[in-house]
Amino acid sequence: MSSYQAYFREKILPRVQKPARYLGNEINAVAKAHEQCSMKVALAFPDLYEIGMSHLGLKILYHIINAVPHWAAERVFMPGSDLEEIMHKEGFPLCSLETVTPLSQFDIVGFTLQYELSYATILRMLKLAGIPLWAFERSEKDPFVAAGGPGAFNPEPLAPFFDFVLLGDAEEAFPEVLRLLEETKALSRRRRLELLSGIRGVYVPAFYREERDEAGVYLGTKPVAPHYPARVKRAVVASLDKAPYPTAFIVPYSDIVHDRMVLELFRGCTRGCRFCQAGVIYRPVRERKKETLLALARKMVRATGYEEMALSSLSTGDYSAITELVNELGVELAKEGVSLSLPSLRLDSFSGELAREVQRLRKSGLTFAPEAGTQRLRDVINKNITEEDLLAAVREAFAAGWTSVKLYFMLGLPTETDEDLHGIAALAGRVMQAYKEAGGRGRPRVTVSVSVFVPKPHTPFQWHGQLPKGEILRRQRLLRQALRLPGVHFQWHGAEMSLLEAALSRGGRELAPVLVRAAELGCKLDSWDDYFRFDLWQQAFAEHGLDLAACAEKSFAESAPLPWDHLDAGVSKKYLLREYRRALRGEVTPDCREGCLGCGMALLLAEEEDKGACTRADLD
Amino acid sequence: MRIWIKFAKQDLMCYLSHLDLMRTWQRAIRRAALPLVYSQGFNPHPKIAFASALPVGVASTAEYADISFAKGIGAAEMEKLQDALPAGLPVLCWRPVPEGIPPLMSLVRAAAWSVPLPDDVQQIEARVEELLGAASLPVRRQGKKGEKTVDLRPALLRLAVDRPGRRLTMLLLAGADGGAKPREVLELLALPGDGLQRDEILLAAGAYLQAPMAVLLKGKEVSFNAEKDYYQLRQ
Repeated sequence: MSSYQAYFREKILPRVQKPARYLGNEINAVAKAHEQCSMKVALAFPDLYEIGMSHLGLKILYHIINAVPHWAAERVFMPGSDLEEIMHKEGFPLCSLETVTPLSQFDIVGFTLQYELSYATILRMLKLAGIPLWAFERSEKDPFVAAGGPGAFNPEPLAPFFDFVLLGDAEEAFPEVLRLLEETKALSRRRRLELLSGIRGVYVPAFYREERDEAGVYLGTKPVAPHYPARVKRAVVASLDKAPYPTAFIVPYSDIVHDRMVLELFRGCTRGCRFCQAGVIYRPVRERKKETLLALARKMVRATGYEEMALSSLSTGDYSAITELVNELGVELAKEGVSLSLPSLRLDSFSGELAREVQRLRKSGLTFAPEAGTQRLRDVINKNITEEDLLAAVREAFAAGWTSVKLYFMLGLPTETDEDLHGIAALAGRVMQAYKEAGGRGRPRVTVSVSVFVPKPHTPFQWHGQLPKGEILRRQRLLRQALRLPGVHFQWHGAEMSLLEAALSRGGRELAPVLVRAAELGCKLDSWDDYFRFDLWQQAFAEHGLDLAACAEKSFAESAPLPWDHLDAGVSKKYLLREYRRALRGEVTPDCREGCLGCGMALLLAEEEDKGACTRADLD
Repeated sequence: MRIWIKFAKQDLMCYLSHLDLMRTWQRAIRRAALPLVYSQGFNPHPKIAFASALPVGVASTAEYADISFAKGIGAAEMEKLQDALPAGLPVLCWRPVPEGIPPLMSLVRAAAWSVPLPDDVQQIEARVEELLGAASLPVRRQGKKGEKTVDLRPALLRLAVDRPGRRLTMLLLAGADGGAKPREVLELLALPGDGLQRDEILLAAGAYLQAPMAVLLKGKEVSFNAEKDYYQLRQ
């Protein structure tokens, strides 16, 4: 036992709230002797244990790295405020869970960028770990601080803090990074980064700089030397079916947000919803075979003992053999007393048969995501479902015995008018009506959950600014009025959190000092109402001569260089612009399974042999 | 097949809450591929219960689980279960439960606790004498309906200093009504309570208090003897 471990367990643990989240010895957790490991990686999730432990990507990497005998991966999360305070007072550094080793003693500290509201927490964690915040301040003995996840497709607000960023699927690229760093320990940090930049998917921010003209107008982020690629291409796993997938999930003692096994059916989505970043950055669709999934599921039940399994994908109902899979899996799991849940089902794939199958398995509420209240606006965002699709699916669900339905919408989508908002209320009313028609007794519970649209990089709406705060609040009030219907419950998201998300999501490197200041002022865990301090964020922006609201609301000219143009997700800017223009004209684009639309993904894949489902490249 | 299992909760496992412990056992049983019996109804749940919740941070050498399995359980199955449980939750012994025995939880009447003492035990001995001699020991307790005063004296079945072991041992009635919490007693003694642990749970068996496994032992009875020890075997 290291001295840190002994001190933490004997002197600190008895004093903290919820100690069960810091034990680090959960079933299937892996603790290796560091003296016998040539590469040690801390996988960091910048939020509390309950959130971070619910994340699939972390489990995949943990499994892949620990499967190599001489590599060690350990977890680290943001400590609760009480523990953070003790650490500050007693000078105890941020440590990994498994062996209570300070982060500064790892070879790599890798953060996942899942949502913008976790960015300040990353800086707080680095500070707690005693690792210099800025990449240029780090010396040969410091770990490499890395990032991945969806936020990696515009990491610019954080870019100066990372030594490298991994774009895309990590299953193959991350082990390649580890092998390279393992073999080059004798070389300088700078030289090793140089070599890393040659790996597909690896972006080294220090090798790129923002260029501006004399007037200070942004001209793009360009490589500092000609041998670095002008655009960093995303790493893509060709066959998800052959890719490693964890079955021995770590089983927490304490309750976490998604406390269950997760079976990832496929990656990618062909639907082309125009607000959706995941639909772009995970292309193309790659499925696991049904047999592979059944075998994984069996192993998982034995290895974890979990009582629930979730089928996960961007649009689970689109899995090519969904009904057979749910049938066969349902029967097997029922024998073990394990229930099956299917989040993220799309309305149009929610057939009667599937509805009955799912109902047999679980009794909780159903969620649907029409996203917008009128057909016009659904056409704008290319959510290709009609009101009749929704009502038919809801009727099926009610007929199958459900009494509770949750509907997800977004507020503030491009071109939205008050009519679209009234459309949300009208739709909720018709869902109530459908319950009566389906012969339901009493009154159903219809929850209408409305988030605020946040424009994201690498989507057709990336040029579009967010609504001003006053307008968001006015529209929320309008909805609250319109949704005063018996049996309807209205939930909405905070306008201020959405503004911060928008400001960070499309920002550039000018935001890095703002983030440092916000963390200094005390910002952290910003997705939690208890911690979010909008005033401090406004102050941090203002102290650096920036206006938070203006950053959120800014629209980019179609011809302007964007802060993430040097990062290649595979879908071309030309295609995104075409989609944006079609959106503004209210024209829908079909699912690309019906024919290649020339998004550019095929070109990215064609550069390497045998990559994926996209075979045609008919980009105009 | 219904069985009672005696197990310890030690080292880091003392930080599991009652709910955490429940989840941990359920999952260990599924990992061991032992079939549980589920309750009937809208939301079936496995028939697992523990004798008595333990405060977070307190270790125990005598926890009890009351579990109904859908098949016969032998030594091989128990070994599989032990392998599936995390370190720090060792199974100490187990015994089949005959028909007609009420839920273990409903039988719990008292618990034995102990805590290590500082070097100077004399002062504590004096204080113990004082408490035992008192007619009543009123303490304030935060209830659901605000604060109220309860008398701990009737719940204090035994309180003693074990000199050679340098420990304080307590036998306290359990339960929200008429029971005493070990930390309340420690507070009266002005002891910090670090290293508090539960040593036994005692059930009501006629006029006696008995350890759970003894209740299941035919022909032998365990009785509580306040003068001598917590409980003793009576032939």
